[in-house]
Amino acid sequence: MNERDFDLTRRGFIDRVLAASTGIGMATAAPWAMAAAAGVERGDRVRLGVVGTGDRGRALIQNILKTKNCTVAAICDSYAPHLARGRALVPAGTRSFTDYRAMLDARGLDAVVIATPLDMHASQTFMALDAGLHVWCEKAMARTIADCGAMVARARGAHKVLQIGHQRMFHPTYLAARKRAAAGEIGTITQVRASWHRNKSWRRPVAPDATDRQINWRLYRDRSAGLMTELATHQLQVANWFMDALPTRVMGSGSICFWKDGREVYDHVALVFDYPGGRKTIYTSLLNNARYGCEEQIQGSKGTIEPELGRIYSEDPNAVPALQQMQCDVAAGNKRAVPIGGATWFPELPVRTPGTPLGWGEYDETMLQFEGFGEAVRKGRELPGLLKEAYYASVASLLGEQAMDSGRALDWPKDLVAV
Amino acid sequence: MSIETRIERFAAMGTRVEFHVFGPVDDEAIRAARRAVEAVDDSLTIHRPSAATALNEALAAGGSVEIGDPLLLEALALADAAVAATGGLFDPTAGKGAPGRWSALSLDVAASRVTAGGPVAFDFGGFGKGYALDRAVDILRAAGVASALMSAGESSIAVIGAHPLGGGWPLAIPDPGVPGGTLAVIEVEDAALSISATVGAGMLAPNRAATVRPRDGRAIAAARTAIAVEASGALAEAISTALIVADAGEAAALIAAWPGHRHLFDHAVTAAAREDADV
Ligand SMILES: NC(=O)c1ccc[n+]([C@@H]2O[C@H](COP(=O)([O-])OP(=O)(O)OC[C@H]3O[C@@H](n4cnc5c(N)ncnc54)[C@H](O)[C@@H]3O)[C@@H](O)[C@H]2O)c1
Repeated sequence: MNERDFDLTRRGFIDRVLAASTGIGMATAAPWAMAAAAGVERGDRVRLGVVGTGDRGRALIQNILKTKNCTVAAICDSYAPHLARGRALVPAGTRSFTDYRAMLDARGLDAVVIATPLDMHASQTFMALDAGLHVWCEKAMARTIADCGAMVARARGAHKVLQIGHQRMFHPTYLAARKRAAAGEIGTITQVRASWHRNKSWRRPVAPDATDRQINWRLYRDRSAGLMTELATHQLQVANWFMDALPTRVMGSGSICFWKDGREVYDHVALVFDYPGGRKTIYTSLLNNARYGCEEQIQGSKGTIEPELGRIYSEDPNAVPALQQMQCDVAAGNKRAVPIGGATWFPELPVRTPGTPLGWGEYDETMLQFEGFGEAVRKGRELPGLLKEAYYASVASLLGEQAMDSGRALDWPKDLVAV
Repeated sequence: MSIETRIERFAAMGTRVEFHVFGPVDDEAIRAARRAVEAVDDSLTIHRPSAATALNEALAAGGSVEIGDPLLLEALALADAAVAATGGLFDPTAGKGAPGRWSALSLDVAASRVTAGGPVAFDFGGFGKGYALDRAVDILRAAGVASALMSAGESSIAVIGAHPLGGGWPLAIPDPGVPGGTLAVIEVEDAALSISATVGAGMLAPNRAATVRPRDGRAIAAARTAIAVEASGALAEAISTALIVADAGEAAALIAAWPGHRHLFDHAVTAAAREDADV
């Protein structure tokens, strides 16, 4: 792709975000998107230090390099092979560190980007804030609800931007979906049925110079809440966003039921989140069946949105078979009696209507997150509404974990920090 | 030569509604006809907030209420005529265990006012479907449609003009007692047809209330199917309901009043039908 093509694609993408984030209700439903798509100002690039150049960190680096207002000024990873792979992505001469403290002490940064295992997020955020830096941190926020709150409170106290990586909030398909939901197209949303189903162990190979805890941190309880923080967070954010509300209560059941390989985190989770007005989000994630994949089925009285597939469906009923037959007969020039007239009852099989597309494509939503972050850092003002969504999504996933662990229905915490 | 066709299918009034229009038609006319059905649903439903729900609340202890909703007012006026035409056998105020109270009502259409001596609640049920189809038929006719079949839940049917291949529309009414069997084949043209039954798979549909006799509020236990072909859907619904609850003499009188257009079938309850009813 040449420079011009890239610019056209970029323009097209930003236009889609803008179009999707303007409209009735969207100023309150997605204020961050408008702000991020408003464009970047001229000026020095925002200097980012990326900590954690594992799988995600490297994807983030590639996206940062595509932005018009950010640059990767330093990278850091405590595991040499991963640092080397990170170094291969950035211009020669970019400073690299194996020690996070050393990266902060070396100065020359405006903000850090944290893509390390979950249990590191809070302490690394605090260190960056203490060093006077803004923070962009991957989801989920932290290993405990208290630490999520502390991240918010300390960033606010330090007057620094804290942004969390929920890229769906910048995705044109999601924004278009949210806009159409706000316009009432699927009626009152009463249920979100979300799932992330995979058929793989989630276990990564461990090289001789590394430990399992280091590489497979997701499978250790003190490092991660497993499926809840790694996968469910994204979808619980989407659910809260479309419900336009926070859960009031959660109940759930988790088990290690298929991958009995010594892991500590559940490979099956099933939860119900109650929302005001009797509405609910039903969530499942599992690791040994991929048929239903990753989706959030947003269900209203007039239709359904499936944003991962990028489709919207109206509640059209199945065709009356006798009338379908009548159409065929007429087309063939046959006049036959139409067997109709009993209030016929039809089996309630899933409706397989194809729906209509919401617009779908490979977009640079992760890049846009960083352009938005770059502008936020320059102005010293966070993108509106974003941190709130992230905080509540992390709280929901961690509260879900607690509900499964305790086997009890848990009320939404009343002592959350203000966002 | 192929015939242009247009199908509109949607959910309304707790069921599926289909329009099958043959020959040229404007999209706008189809949309308007659909909106007309949805508007009747919005006014007459008692399953969510509506003008009918509000009226029922207002009349929960009787009294006099002004009706602001024109569709509800028209439906009440049509129901009033239908109650009279059936000698009270059709009565949308009757419910299970609650005898009909229409005779205790007074409706002043000019003043948009209904007055009830005691508690009363309306449930327009199938009558609403017939009325909704009537309104959609009017819109399509006015838009120049000359051939169409419309169905609301397959028990309320309206046809405009002749079948696209000429002549009447032959409708084969299924026999609820005999799987695949037919009770009667009825040809209709520019008419509305309503089927009421106390047996058959249709009775399993959700929210399906038993037909009750307005005289005493008792559910009809006899296995019967009634068919009425009338100029309007609202009247067809009223007549088929009346036939179901009528005694032998009343039924004979109703049928004699419009011979060849009103039918009542008493079924010996077959094993299959009984099994259905147990599901
Ligand atoms: N937004 C998304 O779609 C998305 C996708 C995948 C992962 N993530 C998130 O990204 C984060 C990282 O996930 P991943 O899959 O890249 O994990 P990973 O294990 O591949 O990478 C983490 C890296 O952090 C390094 N690290 C650990 N401790 C460190 C320390 N103290 N100092 C410096 N480096 C350290 C590790 O060596 C490793 O290279 C997680 O929070 C995860 O939830 C987000």
